[in-house]
Amino acid sequence: MSKISVKNVSYVYSPGTTYRTDALTNVTAEFESGKITGLIGHTGSGKSTLVQLLNGLLKPSEGEVLLDGRNIWENPKEIGKIRFRVGLVMQYPEYQLFEETVRKDIAFGPHNMGMSEEQIEKNIEKIAKIVGLDELSLDKSPFDLSGGQKRRAAIAGVMAMEPEVLVLDEPAAGLDPEGRRAIFSAISDYREKTEATVIIVSHSMEDMADFCDNIIVMANSKVFMSGTRDEVFSRSSELTSIGLDIPEITRLMMKLKEKGVAADTGAYTVKSAAESLIKLFEV
Amino acid sequence: MKSVAMGQYYAAESPIHRLDARTKVVLAILYIVLSFVCTNVLSFALLLVSGIFVILMSCVPIKIVLRALKPIIIIIIITAFINIFMTTGESLLFEWKFIKIYKEGLFNAAFMAVRIIIMIIGASIFLTYTTTPIDLTDAIERLLLPLKKIRVPVHEFAMMMTIALRFIPTLVDETDKIMSAQKARGVDFESGGLIKKAKALIPILIPLFVSSFRRADELATAMESRCYHGGNGRTKMTVTHLRAADLFAFFLMTALGASIVIFNILNIGYTM
Repeated sequence: MSKISVKNVSYVYSPGTTYRTDALTNVTAEFESGKITGLIGHTGSGKSTLVQLLNGLLKPSEGEVLLDGRNIWENPKEIGKIRFRVGLVMQYPEYQLFEETVRKDIAFGPHNMGMSEEQIEKNIEKIAKIVGLDELSLDKSPFDLSGGQKRRAAIAGVMAMEPEVLVLDEPAAGLDPEGRRAIFSAISDYREKTEATVIIVSHSMEDMADFCDNIIVMANSKVFMSGTRDEVFSRSSELTSIGLDIPEITRLMMKLKEKGVAADTGAYTVKSAAESLIKLFEV
Repeated sequence: MKSVAMGQYYAAESPIHRLDARTKVVLAILYIVLSFVCTNVLSFALLLVSGIFVILMSCVPIKIVLRALKPIIIIIIITAFINIFMTTGESLLFEWKFIKIYKEGLFNAAFMAVRIIIMIIGASIFLTYTTTPIDLTDAIERLLLPLKKIRVPVHEFAMMMTIALRFIPTLVDETDKIMSAQKARGVDFESGGLIKKAKALIPILIPLFVSSFRRADELATAMESRCYHGGNGRTKMTVTHLRAADLFAFFLMTALGASIVIFNILNIGYTM
């Protein structure tokens, strides 16, 4: 059952001028309810455009975006409400921080929604725990936090609105491995606690392999491939053909297969690869 | 947001594009000054025709040149109206209660409108459309060089201008991004009264300022690490020289100026 989906959506930047670019052409995709869906593609493949269509920041040139089966542009005046239901964390969200304290900044979105003070207070407590910000840093100025903390504070600002769909554009870009892990575990944690539908945009297959249930691969403004994590990774050679990186371990398995070992090239975690290799030798 | 880029450079190969940027700066100034020298229909007509001739020569489509006029149309209309209603003269054309329109008023209004149009066209066709911002600031630096003798920091001034121009598109992009991010957090820029709208700008302006300062810091470090130390002893990567074409352009402009003065003296048609 899909929570949010796009149907035959096209999007054109600056139509009717010489700068006209087709960012998306006839894209149909579904995002399963309560699952984490990864959106992978090269720079310029249209993934950032797609996520901005999902919460109504952009209006599709053609086609429709369906939330719970209803077109989000049915009533254009109500698009603001859609943005609260579909929370979008843009690339480098730490640049949107502006309040005096982290607490106030997190409360900014919920305030705009008209949430009650108690509810806001409760949400901040809950979300701060999820993203791993302690009491002390909540009362600091957002500009005094470290890079990774800033990123988590900005993501918390969107999570505090308790969106049913949480969309994150490159949430871990530019962070060190420690910071990446913190971000992704916060996202998984949020999904478990709220049963929200989560969509993560990334170009790192490694991240996708670890965290996503489903994966949609985009190339040249179109959906190239979509399916569960297993389905997509079992077609690794097609992924490499459009120049996407596959997890190191999958690459190793492919090399082994080339050499004549009956290795399972669909393995994308070290654990599953090890198990499949051990099986080969047990016979 | 993209429309804020005022009169961008239009890449083309034309005699106007090939002129030295310094020539173009001076020509633009002369052309605008000439519009104030004109006093009668004939001289204005000559100035306009020569303007159109320059546009044609520059290969910039008329449509794009007219686009530069769009932001000041209101100013032109207001000036014209004030001139029509406020000028008094001898030949009354129309009278209704306190409104009196004279023939002189109509002419003055037309002249003022043409003057403003010529100013904009002159500046855009010689400068913004046919000269890259880098060439332009370079030219200004070299034209102002004599001021260095009286300790005006000409190089620093030019460098500041180059940097400012360079960062306009970056800031526009950044503003777009921050606006989208805050919209996603429920900021409403469209509805509400003036105060509410002004308040909605705070979440845009603060991050914009913060990132501008950060960018300025980064740029300063990058420049210092490449040993930038101001203009002293700094040579240009490309040194341009005035060529025959530049001298010819000056000659044409002088000829235009002389003709306009002669037409003014001839006193044909309505005189301002």
